[in-house]
Amino acid sequence: MLELDAITAGYERGSPVVRDAHLTVAPGEAVGLLGPSGCGKSTLARVAALLHRPDAGTVTLDGRPVTGWRHRAPREQRTAIGVVFQQPRLSADPRLSLRDLIAEPLRATGRRGEAAATVSELSRTVGLGEDLLGRRPHEVSDGQLQRACLARALVLRPRWLVCDEMTAMLDASTTAALVAVVEEYRRERGAGLLTVGHDRVLLERWCDRTVRWEDVTTA
Amino acid sequence: MTTPQNARPAAPQGPAPAPAVAPDTADAGARARAATTAPATEAAVTIPPAPHENASRVAPGSVPSNVRKTSGSPRDGTPGTPLLSVRGLSVRFRMRGGRHIAAVADAGFDLAQGECLALVGESGCGKSVLASALLGLLPGNARTAGSALFGDVDLLTAGERTLARTVRGRRIGLVPQSPAAHLTPVRTVGAQLEETLRELTGTQKHDVRRAARAAAERAAFPVDHLDRYPHELSGGLAQRAATALALVGDAPLLLADEPTTGLDRDLVDRTVDELRRHVDEGHALLMITHDLAAAERIADRVAVMYAGRIVELADAARFFGTPGPQHPYARGLLNALPERAFTPIPGMPPELGDLPPGCAFAARCTHATDACAAQPHFADGVACHHPPAEERARA
Amino acid sequence: MAELTRELAAEPAVWRSHGRTRRSTRTLRVRTSAVIVTAVVLAVLVVPPLAHLDQQAVDLSMKLRPPSPAHPFGTDDVGRDLLLRCVYGLRVSLLVGLVAALVATFIGTAVGAAAAAFGGWTDRVVMRIVDTFSSIPHLLLGIFIVAMFRPGVWPVIVSVALTHWLSTARIVRSEVLSLRSRPYIDAAVSGGASRWRVAVRHLLPGVLPQAGLAAVLMVPHAMWHESALSFLGLGLPTHQASLGNLVQSARSSLLAGDWWPTLFPGLLLIIPTLAIAGLAGSWRERINPRRRSELML
Repeated sequence: MLELDAITAGYERGSPVVRDAHLTVAPGEAVGLLGPSGCGKSTLARVAALLHRPDAGTVTLDGRPVTGWRHRAPREQRTAIGVVFQQPRLSADPRLSLRDLIAEPLRATGRRGEAAATVSELSRTVGLGEDLLGRRPHEVSDGQLQRACLARALVLRPRWLVCDEMTAMLDASTTAALVAVVEEYRRERGAGLLTVGHDRVLLERWCDRTVRWEDVTTA
Repeated sequence: MTTPQNARPAAPQGPAPAPAVAPDTADAGARARAATTAPATEAAVTIPPAPHENASRVAPGSVPSNVRKTSGSPRDGTPGTPLLSVRGLSVRFRMRGGRHIAAVADAGFDLAQGECLALVGESGCGKSVLASALLGLLPGNARTAGSALFGDVDLLTAGERTLARTVRGRRIGLVPQSPAAHLTPVRTVGAQLEETLRELTGTQKHDVRRAARAAAERAAFPVDHLDRYPHELSGGLAQRAATALALVGDAPLLLADEPTTGLDRDLVDRTVDELRRHVDEGHALLMITHDLAAAERIADRVAVMYAGRIVELADAARFFGTPGPQHPYARGLLNALPERAFTPIPGMPPELGDLPPGCAFAARCTHATDACAAQPHFADGVACHHPPAEERARA
Repeated sequence: MAELTRELAAEPAVWRSHGRTRRSTRTLRVRTSAVIVTAVVLAVLVVPPLAHLDQQAVDLSMKLRPPSPAHPFGTDDVGRDLLLRCVYGLRVSLLVGLVAALVATFIGTAVGAAAAAFGGWTDRVVMRIVDTFSSIPHLLLGIFIVAMFRPGVWPVIVSVALTHWLSTARIVRSEVLSLRSRPYIDAAVSGGASRWRVAVRHLLPGVLPQAGLAAVLMVPHAMWHESALSFLGLGLPTHQASLGNLVQSARSSLLAGDWWPTLFPGLLLIIPTLAIAGLAGSWRERINPRRRSELML
């Protein structure tokens, strides 16, 4: 269970962008959060991914309340959630090759030995050829880079996935391909999904349940 | 225009799609388009390339998607002559080491006044390069071939002076992709409009403020926001400011480069309806996009690009409705939409520096045969060895 | 019909050059700078060990001779060969400049990164210190620092370093701040990276190119600063030739009409610094991996 309760969060003291938001994701469920640009849904997504400390409210992850955020969150809580962001160009360290990019979470958590095998397997799943793995971000297209970012999010086999407008910058075929990868992973692992976006048709097609921003927050 | 959810073949999986947003705006768009589609198609559509093409080579049973019409000299500008006539346009880049990357190969199409042509394709297919070539904004290592006749100017051979003095802004207006990047951040929108007005139309200083307000109104940009700086505008407003700038010179041809990227669905609809309004007023619009839903809403004709080539050029109603697209790639693209089958095209597009000798889509195509090892010619609006019309005829 | 098709398709396309080429002058500048810098480095490294000639060799009979085949740069007021003196002087100036620039960059990077990483009060205090130091004319500050010690090489290095770390601190701080808010840092945190790993693996590599560039650009500046101090008599002692010293001791001969003791050290100060700055400018473009590929797709 991923529960967000009465979350108020923002970037400046005294002016929160999210006020009193409530959201629950059941295990294995896919929830789409629909809202226009700039409404604060990305902030809520970052709170859910333990990347942003809320000013008020509680987050409960698999029954355990979250007491610390970002580096203060225990590693196994952080890594239980995989995140994919909207802009692939900014989500990739420009100095790392795609192979290093995908393997980075494994190396950071001390599982360096599994890197080679897992990366090969995952890159096949997301549709990246071997020859692309050696390239740097500026040598591949947005769609290919976003595939790599999705592979990075899946490499630690998280129980939860948070996608913040994952496909907003991509064309129709790549969108459908990435959604298929996510759904396949969820089928395999029973992972829950919170996806945030502004494309109602896509979210309704993809998710089990779509909620609107107005219903999630009272502000 | 048929609303996407109700007219398409129903998807076999997933929850039932919800009804379309604001049916009245959708219908308004449809009505406006229906009013102009018919005359535009009859009067202006011509077949793109190759004078050597044999008129009798029409597969029996197929409906030719374009009406053949001989075009007069572009100089006379009489109704029926295309405003922009592109033939054999190719662009390649010289990379370090002498390699060449063919970004665009042999593109050809016509565009008439009051018509909107949507150029669709995934990112990396070369459509932005094509737009840059038309505006003369290619980088130094680019080489072009072919012709792009715009009135009496060949955009590819015209010098920088001609392009800067007479073409850009005055005869071709660019509606850019990310307006925030194209607006000077340290000047207000009004100041930029005024500067462009002075430059392009020679408006006198005492008159320029009034003219700026008029220009803003034309693009539906609220006049009380003219004193704002670009970073203070929302995405939709910034896009309208950029459109206002593009319209200042009253250019007959508008070039919109991905005008809907990153915008919400209803904002996309509004932006696209705005652009359609300008088309209905007589401008010609070449819209480059990978958003098929937006293209469906606005276009009279659709050109699909893949790996640098135009693989299909069809009437929009036929493309999005029945009988649907002819090229397997185009069919795959439409099927990938969440409104339709939501199935991706398997595989990935080829590297532009490493194109196969034959049809570039053959590796991902379910109908590929040995014939596809040769480059297909563009005929009857499609470049494919096995267009469905022929398959039907053979069966 | 088919043959006609094939024939027309086989016509070679006429390729026209397009776009604006403005690379030609830039490459010439870059090449020239590279040549000059190489020559300087060679001269500075190679000559002194090879030369058994003593730069201190005083020969009063050869006082103030203008340039000649035996002495290409002429001689100075006590008969020493000016070419040798200049080369040694350049060597000293360059070494002092290099070490000072490195120390300054190190201090600046550490301070800037710490300010950005810790944020809050640390950031505010550090930046106010930087602002205070920036408001003092740095040559005055340099004189003040160097005057506290006896003349020597290290006081000069310390003086230059302590007055030049400020701009690097600002640059590094703003770079770290902008990198920290990038989603790829978020992704690293979410992927389980520790603070240390994020700093070393993601932030530092992003900052190092800028810091390195700042260091290289600072070398000419440091050389000039040292020369200024020496010219004022506060820098290196006069028996140790540095370019500033040479220009200083040439002042009296200049009034007598002997131009070469001033010109050559001056040229040797100007040309290499310009070349280093030019090279650093071109390096700036190449090190940035975020540069878009040449294709505008």
